[in-house]
Amino acid sequence: MNLSPRARSVARHGEGGVDEPGGDQHPAVGADGQVLRRGQPAGRWRMYGRMAARDFSRNRGVTAALVVLMMLSVMLGTASAGTLVRLIGASSDLMEQADAPHVAQLHVGAFDQAEVDRWVAGRPEVVHHQTMLLLGIDGANLLFDGEPQTASIQQNSLVVPNTERDLLLDLDNRPITQVEPGGIVLPVYHQVEGDLEVGDTVRITAADGFAKDLTIAGFARDSIMNPAIASSKRLAVAPSDFEEVRARTGEVEQLVEFWLDDPATQTAGFKKAYQDAQLPQAGQMVDSNTFQILTMIGDGMVAAVVILVSMLLLVVGVLCLRFSFLTAVEQDYREIGVLKAIGVAPRDVRRIYLTKYALLAGIASGVGLLAGLAVIPLLTRNITRYMGTASGLANWIVPTLAAVLIFVVLVLFMLVLLRRFNRISAVTALRAGATSQPRATRLRLHRSRMPVHLRLGTMDVVGRWPIYLLLFFVFAVSTFIMIVPVNSATTATAPGFINYMGIGAVDVRVDLRHDDATSPEQFERAVEQLGSEPDVTAISPMVTTRHDTLDRDGIAASLYVENGDHTLLPLTYADGRAPTDSSEIALSLLALHQSGRSLGDTVPITVGGQVNALTIVGSYQDITHGGSTAKSVLPTDGEETMWYVIGVQLAGGTDATATAQTYGAQLAPARVSAIEQWRDQTLGPIADQLTIAAGVDAVVAIALAVLMTALFARMLLARDAGPIAIQRAIGADDTGLRQQYLTRILLVLVLGVTVGTVMANTLGELLFNLMFEAMFGGFEMLFQGTSQIAFAVNPLLASLLLPLALLGAVAAATVASSRSIAAASISSLTTE
Amino acid sequence: MTTATATAVLDAQGLTKTFDGHPVLQGLDLKVRDGEFIAVMGPSGSGKSTLLYNISGMDTMTGGNVQFAGQDLGSLSQKQLARLRLTTMGFIFQHVYLLKNLCLLDNIVLPAYLAGLAPRAELTQRAMALMERTGVADLADRDVTEASGGQLQRIGICRALINEPQILFGDEPTGALDSTAATEIMDILGELNAEGTTIMLVTHDTKVAARTSRVIYLVDGRIVGDRQHGPYTGTGLDQRHHELTEWLLHHGL
Repeated sequence: MNLSPRARSVARHGEGGVDEPGGDQHPAVGADGQVLRRGQPAGRWRMYGRMAARDFSRNRGVTAALVVLMMLSVMLGTASAGTLVRLIGASSDLMEQADAPHVAQLHVGAFDQAEVDRWVAGRPEVVHHQTMLLLGIDGANLLFDGEPQTASIQQNSLVVPNTERDLLLDLDNRPITQVEPGGIVLPVYHQVEGDLEVGDTVRITAADGFAKDLTIAGFARDSIMNPAIASSKRLAVAPSDFEEVRARTGEVEQLVEFWLDDPATQTAGFKKAYQDAQLPQAGQMVDSNTFQILTMIGDGMVAAVVILVSMLLLVVGVLCLRFSFLTAVEQDYREIGVLKAIGVAPRDVRRIYLTKYALLAGIASGVGLLAGLAVIPLLTRNITRYMGTASGLANWIVPTLAAVLIFVVLVLFMLVLLRRFNRISAVTALRAGATSQPRATRLRLHRSRMPVHLRLGTMDVVGRWPIYLLLFFVFAVSTFIMIVPVNSATTATAPGFINYMGIGAVDVRVDLRHDDATSPEQFERAVEQLGSEPDVTAISPMVTTRHDTLDRDGIAASLYVENGDHTLLPLTYADGRAPTDSSEIALSLLALHQSGRSLGDTVPITVGGQVNALTIVGSYQDITHGGSTAKSVLPTDGEETMWYVIGVQLAGGTDATATAQTYGAQLAPARVSAIEQWRDQTLGPIADQLTIAAGVDAVVAIALAVLMTALFARMLLARDAGPIAIQRAIGADDTGLRQQYLTRILLVLVLGVTVGTVMANTLGELLFNLMFEAMFGGFEMLFQGTSQIAFAVNPLLASLLLPLALLGAVAAATVASSRSIAAASISSLTTE
Repeated sequence: MTTATATAVLDAQGLTKTFDGHPVLQGLDLKVRDGEFIAVMGPSGSGKSTLLYNISGMDTMTGGNVQFAGQDLGSLSQKQLARLRLTTMGFIFQHVYLLKNLCLLDNIVLPAYLAGLAPRAELTQRAMALMERTGVADLADRDVTEASGGQLQRIGICRALINEPQILFGDEPTGALDSTAATEIMDILGELNAEGTTIMLVTHDTKVAARTSRVIYLVDGRIVGDRQHGPYTGTGLDQRHHELTEWLLHHGL
């Protein structure tokens, strides 16, 4: 019998696997069992270790691929878990240290603090309330380093920092309770976006020639207005400077803040009660949930993308594990038979393999964990900047647990695979020698008109598709993780995306808050002026009012209804059409879900003090105002008006940005923005982060595909040494043999890329929408269909350039690795 | 021997081959004449197979030169050597070495398609004719696993003949067959030789060697015996076998 070194080793050590002196062939028997239990495992494990080491060196390529995949998967899993835990930690840390309010109401106009105080006295759940003054400075009057902030959509307000609650924090998360006169503390947003430094000058001007220069004394983290998507920013100054500026320019706004006893259960009821009490509410009302969501959106999306990639890598890793395992079993089939024939228990045979793969997984997990921990600071740079770092054991424990979890998944998978061993009988193993011989297909060379090598390559893929399945998955997954982030980024930056922001195809958007009795007048004036502008081809004036309604559980809720002629500059409805009279209403997808109704049903809306049943005639996607809005044609007189929006369509060829700037000056205090600019500044930072993530993913995907192709090709060549030698012996040359390999891999590649592209555009789109659903409705909104954004695909990029890049890289990897074809010769057959 | 030199299809001179510094062929000279049927014998490790693979250009010799059909093998590129093997040489092996993912007919037509010397329909016809002749025509559409060892070796012969080679090399083609199957294979080879095909076989089996027209005997990479015993005509095999055995014993082989 021709035993392999491994089999000989086992045979020598015998069934007991003991080679120490004093070893016993019958470990279960005897009074010296104690000694045996100590001595036996040591000898055994040494033996298994030696076998594992031998196996590694025999299958270097596949082993390396396996380790790299497991390592990458652990690395990304660790990194994303670390990012998430830091994001959540830093964000709640920031909220906690800043003592952020649970509910905050912005209000412009007449304000009576005593009125609020009286109402609060009757609300036992309020543990504290305070009002902060915000001095809004128009962008034209605010210059950073000489640069006017007219193009910014950020509403910048001067404040005197609080000293006890709702604190601004410095970059070490220490509260900023006062600013020296002549100094100003800007939010981190301006430091990052405006590229400003301590010592730079901020100038505030007024129409009467007033100019006040302040020196940047530092930067602050603002627990409630930190990210770009929260479009208000607080700039801290000394009380004396605040008063000086207030006397000359700016618009005062109140930020009424409340701290509740148990915010988790009381927030919703409190908000409703406040709104119903007719207290000052000419402005947005937000709660701590909103702050957290706004704070976490951008980085959360990046973490989500990394998690996705990590999961996909884990899937590929598990497939690679299966593949590598089957290859090893095939190679060792006879040896396994020998081991069984000489009486080694199946459990022990399994242990040999488990040792090998568990060792691999262990090494990969260890290195992956370290690499992941090293990558975390890169991924959390943005978080650190905006929110600081939350210290704590969780920062280390959670990533480590993620690594351990992946390791456990891998080992469990191995145990499942190893159950196969029970099915190998000693006799069949010895007789057969190998498990899976390549089978002939129904395809016939002599019936084909294809070039010979092309045909042989195709026949091989068809005949042995299980072998190519791994590569197919790698290509499909690579394509998927390359295209989904790119499509997400192009969607978020596509001009059509405004359709999902509750507005139609307009060029310029005019926003006016309802501040006081003069607001309707200002609105009328703006409508009149815009209507007579020669450059303007159409306008759609809208008045948003607040109405009471009942949600799906019959509980009273507020709904913002935008009123006007919705047939002018219409938006794209997900379903149905625009409402045309006061008996009809269209709801945003989230609002429709919250109402618990569907198209054609009626929804109760309080109009003019009476409950009207309005018919739902349409639904649309809206990601603004928390995603829950409505459109109708209700009478607005006497209703509680919230804000005004005028959509403006310009004549072709008009410069929207310049026009917006002109109108902005004329229509103050209304804010006029070119829609592109508005979208850019609202979604820009998220889109930027997505674009970066997309770029990184594309590189990872191509690297993964190239690595796997190279290793797979090497493995294939090693496995096919016989058939290659045969073809070479009968006169096939290297060029032809290489063509066969290119055909096989490229065929699998084309299939993988096709499936990956289709998946990216279907499953990927679903994932993208789930992300929006979770972002705007929380996790309970997942799979409720409240987000129906269609991917705006850049076909050149997504369907041509990226797949071509992948194709090129894989083809190059195949050609490079098929050079070793020359090494296989007939001697590999005859020396058998 | 002058006329013989003129008709030599293969001429090896000073052929040397070393593996890791260990000499396997040591300055070997051999002329194969057109129409010969040669058996290469010798103990294990004497260099029989190595000789076969070096004079056919399948392996790269360490020293010496080989002239085949007027071409110096040493001066040809790997690609040219592959083309030469494809179009002018046929190979049969002990374990046949068929491609398992092709049916038997496909295995035969493959070298023909690779060479592309005639329209595919014609080549397929030729393959069918060869299968007919070797008695395996009904196996055309079968898998490699669906035929016996003797049948597979016939397929191997068909594949070797498909491009109408000038010489047929065999590396123990009967080594894995029972005596009946071996005899049948040798009958086919004998017929082919009678029709003019030059054949060179490596074999351990004196019964096989007795059916050839010339036996060379290798020891340690050198030819130590070269016996011409004329073509086997179908009679007196026992006598030829006896004489060959005597010759081997006489030379202490």
